[in-house]
Amino acid sequence: MQRQRESTLHPVDLAVVVTYVGLITYVGIRFSQRVKTAKDFFLAGRSLAWWVIGLSIIGTNVDTNGYIGASGNAYSIGIAQANFEWIGAIPAMIIAALIFIPLYWRAGVYSIAEYLGLRYNQAVRVVAASIVVVMSVFAMGVAMWALAITLQTFIGWPIWLGILVSGTVVGLYSVAGGLGAVAITDSIQVCIMFVCGLIIVAIGISDAGGTESFISKLTAENPTHLSAYLPADHETYPWHGVILGLGLVLSPAYWIGGQAILQRTLGAKTQWDASAGMMFAALAKTFVPVLIVFPGLLALVMMAEIEYPDMALPWVIKNVLPVGISGLMFVAIIAALQSSIDSSINSTALMITRDIRHVLVKNHNPDADLKIGRLLTLGLLLSAMSIAPYIGNLGGIFNFLQSLLSLFQGPMLALLLLGALSKRATGTGGIITLVSGVALAGILSWVVELNMLYVAFFTFCYAVPALWIISGFTQPHSEEHLKTLTYSPWRAR
Amino acid sequence: MELPVVWANYISIALFLALGVGVWSIPKSAVVPAEYEHQSWRDLRFWATGLILFQIALYAYFS
Repeated sequence: MQRQRESTLHPVDLAVVVTYVGLITYVGIRFSQRVKTAKDFFLAGRSLAWWVIGLSIIGTNVDTNGYIGASGNAYSIGIAQANFEWIGAIPAMIIAALIFIPLYWRAGVYSIAEYLGLRYNQAVRVVAASIVVVMSVFAMGVAMWALAITLQTFIGWPIWLGILVSGTVVGLYSVAGGLGAVAITDSIQVCIMFVCGLIIVAIGISDAGGTESFISKLTAENPTHLSAYLPADHETYPWHGVILGLGLVLSPAYWIGGQAILQRTLGAKTQWDASAGMMFAALAKTFVPVLIVFPGLLALVMMAEIEYPDMALPWVIKNVLPVGISGLMFVAIIAALQSSIDSSINSTALMITRDIRHVLVKNHNPDADLKIGRLLTLGLLLSAMSIAPYIGNLGGIFNFLQSLLSLFQGPMLALLLLGALSKRATGTGGIITLVSGVALAGILSWVVELNMLYVAFFTFCYAVPALWIISGFTQPHSEEHLKTLTYSPWRAR
Repeated sequence: MELPVVWANYISIALFLALGVGVWSIPKSAVVPAEYEHQSWRDLRFWATGLILFQIALYAYFS
């Protein structure tokens, strides 16, 4: 049943990897010829079609944790891991597609922080952008580190070489081609991921003796592995925490407020393409568990001898897939990581260039945006490459920053929802709610030591009435100013 | 008293149904640009409905 192979790549697999790297670099650099202005660089000249946007969103969304970590989680908890792709994504993506993306698109903004700046004030814009920028540098370092570890595991490259090669490849097309190159390469990468996912399903089910045999083997010793939810007393993913925290707060905050995700919709050629792109991404997202959950279940069915759950996917690649396909699967993992790094770099450069520089530097020159954006992209990439080898030692700091970011999700979602759906929310109300909501989240998280899913839910529940009440006592923007910044489909346009 | 886990599936299905009602409360003019008015496949409310029905089927199956 199992085909044991050595830990290094077969020459055929290596050829597949080299071909992939060459193709991605070529496509990315070719796209750079279209970049003439900052709008071309950051928003692909507003030229992206819906299907490119959809595939690129999924490429950005599925990252290291999504691929290797989710397979490991599925090995431990089963299909419940898919909640992150289903109730933890689809409703928020539909709402983003039908309500928020049209709003951002009509406002003509480059970023969500810019929208918040227009809707509330520039203080909210700078705070929102700064949080994401700090987190992104560390997140890129982590992704680069994970990529280097993957290369070390499969090819035997030292960490420094893996970081240097992957950083150079990502840098070549990200710095030269901007969002357009990123979106096109993301699309190719996602197609590779899905082809590999379907091959794993086909081979896995065939090796297990068919679907019924697969299911009976899986549930024989793991009866809850095909249940979508885990019991209420589960330590990490209690079902009401998943619905309330993930489904109602964290997921909407990510899908309607995540700059790296939404930037490609802002680069759509029409408003319809922007919304349809997100809807297409939701369709693809429904099937993402095939890529990231199934390998974990397959490792369990095939009784993989692994030391810890995160080894489930590497085990499947080495022991289930035939030569050539395992190289393609290895490429899919690289692709998942690269597509997250490139998107993060581009969106972070955008926010520093426009949301921070334009606000804080009074005499900025907008004509220099393209040059500054490219320099920042290079600088961010080099920063991520520099800190990547030390990420193992910085784990505590990164975890701290990650929990810090999650403190903002509840209040930030309240600002986005009330800002978009109501004319009542004011700038003063926004900044007071943001600061006090984060303080409350800090207390719930570090003093009360509440599960992060509940922290997100309770701070959201605080922020909505707080923003509503405070705004009642402060000066709102004019009706004219709010006309294009609030959602009212029943109003005649 | 704790609700059985299967209630999580029922709640999820109810949330998706509520979302479906919300989707169809949005007027067509806000979803489909005037130039595409006669192309039904461009009405994103149908796309959303397909997605919602698929999700309901998933949560009904994995209960």
